[in-house]
Amino acid sequence: MPTTSVFKISSFSIFVIVLLGFAALFAPIIAPYDPMAQDLKNSFLPPFWLGGTSEHLLGTDSLGRDLLSRIIFGARAAVYVSVIGSFFAALIGVVLGLLSGYFGGALDALISRLVDAWMSFPSVLLCIVLAAVIGPGLETVIVAIIIIDWTRFCRVVRSETIVQKSSDYVSAAIIGGLSPLKILIKEVFPNIAPLLVTLLTLEMGIAIVVEAILSFVGLSSSHIPTWGGLIQEGRLYVNQAWWLMGAPVFCIVVVVLAFNLIGDSVRKRIDPVLRA
Amino acid sequence: MFGRYLMLRLLLAIPTIFCVAVIVFVLMRIVPGDPISMMIPPGASPDDIENLREIYGLNKPVLDQFLIWLNGIAEGDLGRSISLKLGVGQLILNRLPATLELVILSMGIAIFLAVTASVAAIRYKDTLVERVLDTFTGVAQAIPDFLWSLLLLLFFGVILPLFPITGRLDPSLSFDPITNFYFFEAIFTFRLDVVWDLLAHLALPSFALAFPLAASLSRVLRGSLSEAMSQDYITLAQVKGYSRLEVITKFALRNALIPTITLSGVQFAFLIGGTVLVEYIFSYPGLGNLAISAVVQRDLPLIQGLILTFAVMFVITNLLIDLSYALINPRLRGR
Amino acid sequence: MHTFDRRRFLKISGIAAAAPLAGSVLFSGCSKGSDVLSIAYNVPLPSWDPTTGPSSVNPTIQTYYKAVFDSFIDQNPDLSFKAGLLTEWGWNEDRTKIKMTVRENAFWHDGSPVTPEDVVWSLERAANPESGNPIQFVWSKINNFSISGQEITADVKEFEPTLFKWMAFLTGYVMPKKAYLDRGAEAWEEQPIGSGPYMVEKFERNAYVRLKAFPQYWGDKPEFETVVIKMVPDASARVAEIESGGSDLTLQIPYEEFNRLSSKGFSGQSYPVSDIGMIFISNREPMLDKNVRLAMHHAIDKKAIVNDLLLGFGTPIDTLQAPEYDAFESTTTVGYDLELAKKYLAKSGFSVSNPVKFTIQTTRGYKPKDYEMIEAIVGMWKQVGIEASIEIYEIAKHFELRMQHKLAPAAFYNWGNSIGDPSTSTGFAMFSYSPHSAFKSPEVDKLIGPLWGEPNEEKRIEGYKNVDRYIADEGLVIPLLQYSQPVVYRSGLSFTAHTAGFILPQNIKSA
Repeated sequence: MPTTSVFKISSFSIFVIVLLGFAALFAPIIAPYDPMAQDLKNSFLPPFWLGGTSEHLLGTDSLGRDLLSRIIFGARAAVYVSVIGSFFAALIGVVLGLLSGYFGGALDALISRLVDAWMSFPSVLLCIVLAAVIGPGLETVIVAIIIIDWTRFCRVVRSETIVQKSSDYVSAAIIGGLSPLKILIKEVFPNIAPLLVTLLTLEMGIAIVVEAILSFVGLSSSHIPTWGGLIQEGRLYVNQAWWLMGAPVFCIVVVVLAFNLIGDSVRKRIDPVLRA
Repeated sequence: MFGRYLMLRLLLAIPTIFCVAVIVFVLMRIVPGDPISMMIPPGASPDDIENLREIYGLNKPVLDQFLIWLNGIAEGDLGRSISLKLGVGQLILNRLPATLELVILSMGIAIFLAVTASVAAIRYKDTLVERVLDTFTGVAQAIPDFLWSLLLLLFFGVILPLFPITGRLDPSLSFDPITNFYFFEAIFTFRLDVVWDLLAHLALPSFALAFPLAASLSRVLRGSLSEAMSQDYITLAQVKGYSRLEVITKFALRNALIPTITLSGVQFAFLIGGTVLVEYIFSYPGLGNLAISAVVQRDLPLIQGLILTFAVMFVITNLLIDLSYALINPRLRGR
Repeated sequence: MHTFDRRRFLKISGIAAAAPLAGSVLFSGCSKGSDVLSIAYNVPLPSWDPTTGPSSVNPTIQTYYKAVFDSFIDQNPDLSFKAGLLTEWGWNEDRTKIKMTVRENAFWHDGSPVTPEDVVWSLERAANPESGNPIQFVWSKINNFSISGQEITADVKEFEPTLFKWMAFLTGYVMPKKAYLDRGAEAWEEQPIGSGPYMVEKFERNAYVRLKAFPQYWGDKPEFETVVIKMVPDASARVAEIESGGSDLTLQIPYEEFNRLSSKGFSGQSYPVSDIGMIFISNREPMLDKNVRLAMHHAIDKKAIVNDLLLGFGTPIDTLQAPEYDAFESTTTVGYDLELAKKYLAKSGFSVSNPVKFTIQTTRGYKPKDYEMIEAIVGMWKQVGIEASIEIYEIAKHFELRMQHKLAPAAFYNWGNSIGDPSTSTGFAMFSYSPHSAFKSPEVDKLIGPLWGEPNEEKRIEGYKNVDRYIADEGLVIPLLQYSQPVVYRSGLSFTAHTAGFILPQNIKSA
């Protein structure tokens, strides 16, 4: 792929992600209405370009709630679960991956077996089961993301640590008498950080999809609108108001696409084999 | 030589499966709430409850419970479903063929789409075709299978009602198969009406599963194809006067397919456990649908049995993939 | 336009594909002819035993049972009683004995005749606590059966005024003694045997059941030889089923879709049924506080829900009695009053800034707009200082939780009462010894207790009206509305609405 195209795609991603972050951070300020405020008399208003009013730019849902405000608050929920979920999944995965890769031996065997076994679980089913037993809520979604996705980080970090361990500067540090903890933090970790960024970006996209899945089966929060929840609510009225389902689907697709593209371009930049 | 490799791989799979069993068991026990409370019939006396505990072995120490459960698994007994009042193993075996048929068809479609798209993109490199394909691949990958299901359901359910949208086989067709592999059985018994109906029912769920899969397969295939295209033997073929399409399909594709097949194998293993929501949306009577109803009913023995089944199938599929490589490529055996 | 449907398309293409290869297959290929009726139903069938288990008291699954089994006594679509397997029934003078006559020309699906022994066995089994019949305490009020010819007499242990009504209601089905005992419970689930108009040909759990008309049925022969009931719990999938031609008839879809499909050439009926929407309150925190309960009730604008959300389909109610029921009392009202609700909450120290919090359970897609109704109510509550989180459950789960007294503090449910008696609405829903009650209150028990065996019908109905008044004043349950059931079907069918909400395939004809 020509470099210009990578650059262009990245600017699309950056635009989307900045917009997402902005919407999430300032949701209460920029959202025109309380996303839960109902107005049964004004339900199913169409978006402004389909004959609706400028008061409800994207129209209203079956309970007369403002769709734009719900989408904006939905962005907040999406960012919340994907940032926290990805961070903790990464934390667990990185720590176990570093230990397993650096120390090897029985510890490595144990962790590797655990990862193998863990990866063999059907992830969608596992997170539905978890959410069902913990009870619905955004925190449940976060827990599900962490539990199903820490292995992604662990595997990559482990193999990368093994590579790093055999490098000259780590050998030098070992001879220099640095403690394993210091070596891991000061020498190994900075070298796997770029890889971690790629994984994290890809994970954000995955996390948003996990949230959508759980809301879809009714296991996310009922206090704050989520994109998956909006899809589930909207699909009932696709013949009356297709935008109720169309808008959240569009948001998910665009955001996941943006994260995927960033992940791709970062991977290309840091991975010389792929870049060629 | 191969026999030894086989033994080694099998031996390695055992601790993984054991680990799987431990995790399943632990996950189900740390779940808040008493599993027995879900099984109590109305008006049960404390004696009855104690009796139930006895039957399910829930009055014993946790370690004993685990051993009992393991022992049951070893004897092929996965317990009884609380909500359906049938043996878990039997329920799973009844549903498994439906899921396998769906997964196999989806995989076939995905590979077909991926190969077609990649060949086209390389053939029409640096043209509008490539750009369009790029966009499609990106979007197809960004839409998870359950969203694809909803979109297909909308489109084919309402706008263009070509395909049935729920179930596996039109219930009014009289077809009484011996096995639950309806599709294969219908082919072997020349019930072409049934084959056709099964395919019509499979169409939407399998495309929903195939689209994102095809996108990720085609990314890998594109990469290895364009790498192959820069090899010497390709230049040689071009010099010999083969058309570009011929060069791609006859020479480059053959070499570029190996990494894609590797990925397909891994994806296949993931797919078996990944049909849950798609089956649910299309009311397709496979394992995934069974799993959703088990979760909704909080049917612990069934959930436990299902997760274990999925995990074991994942391990076995991976094992089979590894073994087939070793069979094809003896150099790998040493690893 | 819709007459050229998907099914025909598939059939034609199916034949086209099959023809060159196997001519003999051709005819079985077009098995889905006009004699097949396909129904997309909203609730899956959990069990083929209509007399035991928590779901046997679920009014919505009676549709399945009514097609395959016969009740002791049957009901017409207007809910008046008619002969079922019993042709005559009644009390003796002093109500110490009952007498029943069993139909002579009835057969089981295995070909053997229905005998008085079967009826007695069914009644004794229902009365046996070990069988797990949830209504056992009604059935146990008669014993000591004796048979002479087709006539059965039994002793009345304790007078139960609604006994014969129950014979037409939940768990009031006759089962074949020999066939059931020979096969055992497990095989029964695969292939049940009844005496109703249809027999089970194939049952695929959570997917569909295929019924075949029973040639030896004693009543009128149903018009459709084969009936397929598909279990489609998702409301939008049911809409798609009917729109794509995959099913001929469906029910419980959003009223918007009902209106849209009706204007698109489909036939539709939406009719009031003996079914109400209500919120069960359990006696646990924070529901032990009367102020909270009353505030919850006063804060709900039922009129707005019926008119704006349900497009006018439905009738708001304040007691567990719909207007058609025997003990309906129009003067017992609760009223929508936000200020009053706030006042009640303030008495217990709650406000918008310090809301009372709890979980409310609801189904989704089971009844039209069930989930949205609860969302709307939660929105109304929010304005006065009540913060409820919504948890979705399946209807089968509701029954289990209710029997174990483990429902959330508030739980949305629908209560069907096709016999219209107050004992089967208020009585069973509120009497604490009933396994179906959620709020257990000794005061209510004191009021209801004497009414169970009250022989004076007028006094009994009056008594229940008083109970309803007390319950409304204490806020022990939140009745919402009487449902109107939307049914949509392809043109060319004629469908008879049954006030109990049953979709009886035997009553569906081609127009």
